[in-house]
Amino acid sequence: MPDWKQELIRIVGERGYLDRPEDLRLYEYDGGVDKGRPEIVVFPRSAQDVSAIVKVSRRHGVPIVGRGAGTGLSGGAIARSGGILISFARMNRILEIDPFNERAVVEPGVVNLDISAAAAPYGYFFAPDPSSQRACTIGGNVAENAGGPHTLAYGVTANHVLGLEVVLPDGEILRTGGFWPDAAGYDLTGLITGSEGALCLVTKVIVRLMRKPESVETFLAIYDSVDDCATTVSEITARAITPAAVEMLDGSMLQMVEEAVHAGYPLGAAGVLLIELEGVREAVAEQAAQVRQACAACRAQEIRQARNEQERQLLWKGRKNAFGAIGRVSPFYYVHDGVVPRTKIAPTLRYIEDVSRRSGLAIGNIFHAGDGNMHPIILFDARRPGDIEKAQKAGFDILEYCVDSGGSITGEHGIGMEKIHLMDRQFSQESLEMMRRLKMTFDPARLFNPGKLLPERQPCPELRQPPVTPGGSLPC
Amino acid sequence: MRCVRPVTEKELAEALRAAAEEGERVEVRGAGSKRRMGGPVAEADVLIETTGMAGVRQYDPRDLTVSVEAGMKWRDFCALLEENRQMAPLDPPCAETGTVGGVVAANLSGPRRRLYGAARDMVIGMSYATVDGAVAQTGGMVVKNVAGLDIHKALIGSFGTLAVITVVNFKLAPQPEKTRSYALVFDSAAELAARRDAVLSGPLQPAAMDALNPAAARLAGLDGFCLLARAGGPEALLERYDRELQGARRYEGGQEMALWRAVEEFAPSQRFVVRAGHRLSDLRAVLESAPGACVSRAGTGVSWLGFDSAGEAEQWMSDASHAAWSRLLEWSDGPAGVYWPDPGPELEWMRKIKSAFDPSGILNPGRLYGRI
Repeated sequence: MPDWKQELIRIVGERGYLDRPEDLRLYEYDGGVDKGRPEIVVFPRSAQDVSAIVKVSRRHGVPIVGRGAGTGLSGGAIARSGGILISFARMNRILEIDPFNERAVVEPGVVNLDISAAAAPYGYFFAPDPSSQRACTIGGNVAENAGGPHTLAYGVTANHVLGLEVVLPDGEILRTGGFWPDAAGYDLTGLITGSEGALCLVTKVIVRLMRKPESVETFLAIYDSVDDCATTVSEITARAITPAAVEMLDGSMLQMVEEAVHAGYPLGAAGVLLIELEGVREAVAEQAAQVRQACAACRAQEIRQARNEQERQLLWKGRKNAFGAIGRVSPFYYVHDGVVPRTKIAPTLRYIEDVSRRSGLAIGNIFHAGDGNMHPIILFDARRPGDIEKAQKAGFDILEYCVDSGGSITGEHGIGMEKIHLMDRQFSQESLEMMRRLKMTFDPARLFNPGKLLPERQPCPELRQPPVTPGGSLPC
Repeated sequence: MRCVRPVTEKELAEALRAAAEEGERVEVRGAGSKRRMGGPVAEADVLIETTGMAGVRQYDPRDLTVSVEAGMKWRDFCALLEENRQMAPLDPPCAETGTVGGVVAANLSGPRRRLYGAARDMVIGMSYATVDGAVAQTGGMVVKNVAGLDIHKALIGSFGTLAVITVVNFKLAPQPEKTRSYALVFDSAAELAARRDAVLSGPLQPAAMDALNPAAARLAGLDGFCLLARAGGPEALLERYDRELQGARRYEGGQEMALWRAVEEFAPSQRFVVRAGHRLSDLRAVLESAPGACVSRAGTGVSWLGFDSAGEAEQWMSDASHAAWSRLLEWSDGPAGVYWPDPGPELEWMRKIKSAFDPSGILNPGRLYGRI
């Protein structure tokens, strides 16, 4: 056993690590399609542990990658270059729920939904709600700047994180931001949120809690044309309504989801919108009337409204469990995360249909229509020769289309190792150079999550190839 | 001092590169409306003004996003959005004269920060010129985007010390159908704080919730400890506010605008202004500790206290050091000893970032409260 491993074991103890091949195999993947096996997985219990581990990594030049629940979809939590995988599973305490000051202080291993559960008795909740919120952790949410359906109204993780405690690549424990916003100087908290573990490791998070809305109304608008479905999004914007969520499912997704979840979705439709309004009763009532008119103006065939919490939960169950439903139909799938301006949703869906036809692969769409965050789901069979390559090409074609439409290659899943080769499609060399300079300021030895987020200046041939070892995916 | 007023990003980047090459120190500004803020520029050889770049880069109202050049006047920017009943509700001070780039570089926000957030929540992308003479982009034009490092987060509030912001992209909000504002008057800070608690923990979530002590209230034509709330939405919602905020003085239309303008322009109206960051639960203590006028973002935890001299402001910052509040002499009418008393360990990392962007330290030397 190398010295560095022995040093790590001295820090975390005999019960604080895994390094048998059969154990390491469980940590070689995340919710996406890539793989990479760490040489050891360590389970720190405190920021001091993390700092000591980081110092070992630094001293011996061993790469280090943070990991929450491993639900990410871009390979962010994968030990691409081997080395140390640092799991925050044992740093999972909610340290403080302070409803009066609208704050919670949590360790990185706390499950997203558990924050809302702890705040619920006081009438508060934590707004970012990725579909994996029952499993994913706040540390991963911060690293990836996670989104979710309700970020349409409430914003993404970055908008809800006020302060951090982090361990920097030199082992220093640093606190950024704090309990109140708008501190003087450069916004390190904002810069670190979404930095995919490439700048530091998060050991504590101060988040904003929000007052639970008084009233919630959920609609299912059913269409026999995908275009009409997409146009409704613009129509809602034109009416100055900001729903809490506008989710779209196309016909093929409806079928898959309904067969698995029995959410009561219509089977023959071309597409549906799941629209949720939240707020003060009077405002929601007014907006509900507007939403009905907007859907009708865009030729919705039917508009259903959840009559109670149970019906509402059922409608959301279909959306949030969609990825599991796909597994029943296709053994392998590949989900992407491109973003386009809201007005470009309809042409983008048509383009995706073209790609599907060209590639011969079925592609379903279930996505955050309200903010233009597409989630094309490419179905394939890895056992069929050539399918993996076709699926990859289809995905990257769609992402390039998103960039050309004025959008982005990722709205909430992150660059990770999956899309690193597309970064220079979206950003100029000058822009990438400034990002690299910032990365080098924090991590000059480049040991923090190497091979992620930022392409090398002179990409080696290995990195030019999109890294893939596809498998089934978990919910996003 | 030489003055340069570029009309393109390239020209601006070139001016920066030339200055860096000559080892000249550069003062960067928009309209210069916030020179009293953020600590003075020590000394400079070249003045670069962004006001020559004031165009709209991209605006399709249906996308609820906009991209404008940094030198555009904030007032003109708001007028552009107003035509489409949209807004970027930062409500900054110096709104009449300041530029978009200046508002963002100084990280200014105002009363509606409670509901809509600050620049970090509204800015989705930027272009900026570096001392190497490069023009780089960060973020983009879509409301959800996690590609790359969000360098715009560091540029917000950087007071031109890292690079020069040349273009700013915002996500926008639709204007509410109607708005109405309310003033509740109390005899004491304690009563005000109790009412604030009741509103914040209730179902109504006003866009703005500000507290004024009597000295600040007088500036807005009011008296006593005042709790101001701003609501927006359909008439039925505003009637609900009327019922729940019974006894409040109501403001609409021009009167409403005038009330909030007075609140927004509070800091520039004072000679020396300390900004304090604190927990919501410390509202009463902050209001009671103010020797002069005080305006508090009572639903956010940031307060502004006015002073007649730098000495009094510094004295207050020193007296308040026992409380766990952040303190900053944000606006000053003349030189002061200490602007930012306790920057904390984050400062060292800010300096490293500064070195990465501007290794010779030529950009706005002295800005950021003399700490960078």
